[in-house]
Amino acid sequence: MKALCYNGVNDLRVERVPDPKLIGPHDVIVRVILSSVCGSDLHLLDGYVPTMMPGDIIGHEFLGEIVEKGPEVRNLNRGDRVITVSIIGCGKCQYCQNEEYSFCDNSNPHPQFTEKTYGHACAGIFGYSHAFGGYAGSHAEYIRVPFADTNCFRVPEGVTDEQAVFVSDAAPTGYMGAEMGNIKPGDVVAVWGCGGVGQMAIRAAYLMGAEQVIAIDRYPDRLKAAQLKAGAEPLDYTRVDIYDALQAMTGGRGPDVCIDAVGMEADGFDTGAEYWYDRTKQALRLESDRPKVLRQMIECCRKGGTLSIVGVYGGLIDKFPMGAAMNKGLTFRMGQQHGQRYVKRLFDHIQRGELDTSYLLTHKWSLDDAPEGYRMFKEKNDNCMRVVFAP
Amino acid sequence: MSLDSFAGRVVDAPGRLLGGRSDDEHGEMAGTVERWAAMLGGTALGVAGLRRGDWAGMALAAVGGGLFLAGAAGMPVAAPVRERLRDLGEGLGEGGLDRIGGGVAGLIPSARREPTTTQSVVTIAAQPERLFRFWRNFGNLPKIMDHLEAVEIESEKRSHWKAKGPGGVRLDWFSEIEQERENELISWHTVEGSQLPHKGQVMFKPAPGNRGTEVRLTMAYHLPGGQSGRAVAKMFGATPEQQVREALRRMKQLMEAGEIATIDGQPSGSRGAYRPVIGEK
Ligand SMILES: NC(=O)c1ccc[n+]([C@@H]2O[C@H](COP(=O)([O-])OP(=O)(O)OC[C@H]3O[C@@H](n4cnc5c(N)ncnc54)[C@H](O)[C@@H]3O)[C@@H](O)[C@H]2O)c1
Ligand SMILES: [Zn+2]
Ligand SMILES: [Zn+2]
Repeated sequence: MKALCYNGVNDLRVERVPDPKLIGPHDVIVRVILSSVCGSDLHLLDGYVPTMMPGDIIGHEFLGEIVEKGPEVRNLNRGDRVITVSIIGCGKCQYCQNEEYSFCDNSNPHPQFTEKTYGHACAGIFGYSHAFGGYAGSHAEYIRVPFADTNCFRVPEGVTDEQAVFVSDAAPTGYMGAEMGNIKPGDVVAVWGCGGVGQMAIRAAYLMGAEQVIAIDRYPDRLKAAQLKAGAEPLDYTRVDIYDALQAMTGGRGPDVCIDAVGMEADGFDTGAEYWYDRTKQALRLESDRPKVLRQMIECCRKGGTLSIVGVYGGLIDKFPMGAAMNKGLTFRMGQQHGQRYVKRLFDHIQRGELDTSYLLTHKWSLDDAPEGYRMFKEKNDNCMRVVFAP
Repeated sequence: MSLDSFAGRVVDAPGRLLGGRSDDEHGEMAGTVERWAAMLGGTALGVAGLRRGDWAGMALAAVGGGLFLAGAAGMPVAAPVRERLRDLGEGLGEGGLDRIGGGVAGLIPSARREPTTTQSVVTIAAQPERLFRFWRNFGNLPKIMDHLEAVEIESEKRSHWKAKGPGGVRLDWFSEIEQERENELISWHTVEGSQLPHKGQVMFKPAPGNRGTEVRLTMAYHLPGGQSGRAVAKMFGATPEQQVREALRRMKQLMEAGEIATIDGQPSGSRGAYRPVIGEK
């Protein structure tokens, strides 16, 4: 089959590889119909997530049809149209039982990496480096899904492929970002980053009762989508001082909840010196992540407010304003998404017309053009929010 | 009583841990009970020092291991192991294997000693009964211990273990169950004449908050010279510490998820060598 393979930093190639086969008794094989890019892939491609190997198939947000199933798969059948959550749960460990699937104890075949660096092993993720299990990803014609009963979900009638595919990753991540904010009616929420994840977080914050959501980015098309599709108040961080603007918009209190949907590769054109400080340290591998958004959230958030972090960080950050965080009594919530927990709720919202996911899909391309698609997505050209490949 | 609570106390009352076996039951291994007790007593301390460490190193671990070594002195290294180590070019410390094998292990300066007891613990979401039953049938152990090919049960207490290493080394030994407390503890040791004398103990303790069972596995290798860790690593391709952790991890996966997660056999693109590509960036 064809598959998009990592070959080195920002070097992707479509290669011919063997078809996947069933390995474990709880596996299914899915014929991929749609497979999306994600901001997380950019961290991989830029070389900030170690343990990638040449030949690794990337991609983790996908929809397809089950074509084969292992002997112990109970709830799924050949021909089912399913989405698969990007982060793999075994369904049986204590964490999975508590619906904390990204903490799964059993889904990562290479737990040693995260055990050593993080103290405990993290769950496996499709196409997301060997530290997260080394599972082959979804930018391919077929993909093997382990523990399928836990990770695959049938798409309800009436929900289109283009709507459903984002229930794999972007939608549950944004939803969890809002949920971790513990939003109360009347709250003002600020969301940093208006990619697919940020867009979903904005919408979810409204669904959870936010009075107002403020969206921060620099790309006009993304800010426009945040305003028109998700109902946010847009702020361009290259044109206004974010601290001043947020205080002005919240009566000097600061937002009640700040959501980071940017992660470790934050841009920073408004405070150039800070950006270049982090950029240089990151390039020299003295600091693995650029924490600009984190610092800004700590400064802007109201006293006693909550920071919810779904943008991905991988390693160490520098100059973390702990004094401000401590003295302002901030709450930090964060994590990789527990998607399986939200799938049903998200499909319900979609079916009731309360959540529009389909506008994240700005480009639908052939898998053959995937390397070019990633370049477009990375450079945010042609108003690309997410390019989705159809093999 | 947990192993931890034995630290520093076991030496006073060795018989209690080991269920009062008679000293000379194993002929040549006179004083076995005290020796094993000393080793397990050294465990908690040794393991505390070893956390995240490797086999060479840390003073604290050396103290814990030293306790074991004191117990192990006088135990001859089995000839096949000695030969195997020599083949692998693995000397045991300054004086080489022979001298140390002659029974002067206790005289190695503590800084040169390596711990020979390792322990790991994992919480498994299952009742102790089920886990105890799984372990009590040693025939199950090859499912969770990579280096084992088979364990054949010969009688209520006695079993025949067959192992293989990455270099095709084959070893086998006989073990006897030493102590067994239903749903709590199983300990076993190799019988006299084994090529790789060692002892194992697994303990099952309910985890607080209804989280299943804490399973604690301890292995003590009985080679004098303080180089057992390296010897085992050479033979089986994994240090005793890795083996113990891996065994518990696999047991957890089998018991909880019903399979051991793997990516062996999945497709990948070219791992380096050029392969014709369909599209390039
Ligand atoms: N926690 C999870 O499980 C999970 C799942 C999916 C994605 N993610 C992470 O979420 C983040 C966003 O993903 P995405 O797919 O939307 O990515 P994306 O690249 O499409 O969007 C990121 C956006 O952040 C904006 N941005 C950069 N610097 C900024 C700054 N200083 N202030 C405000 N905005 C800034 C960019 O302009 C861009 O629009 C990534 O870090 C990704 O790894 C996490
Ligand atoms: Zn993602
Ligand atoms: Zn799990």
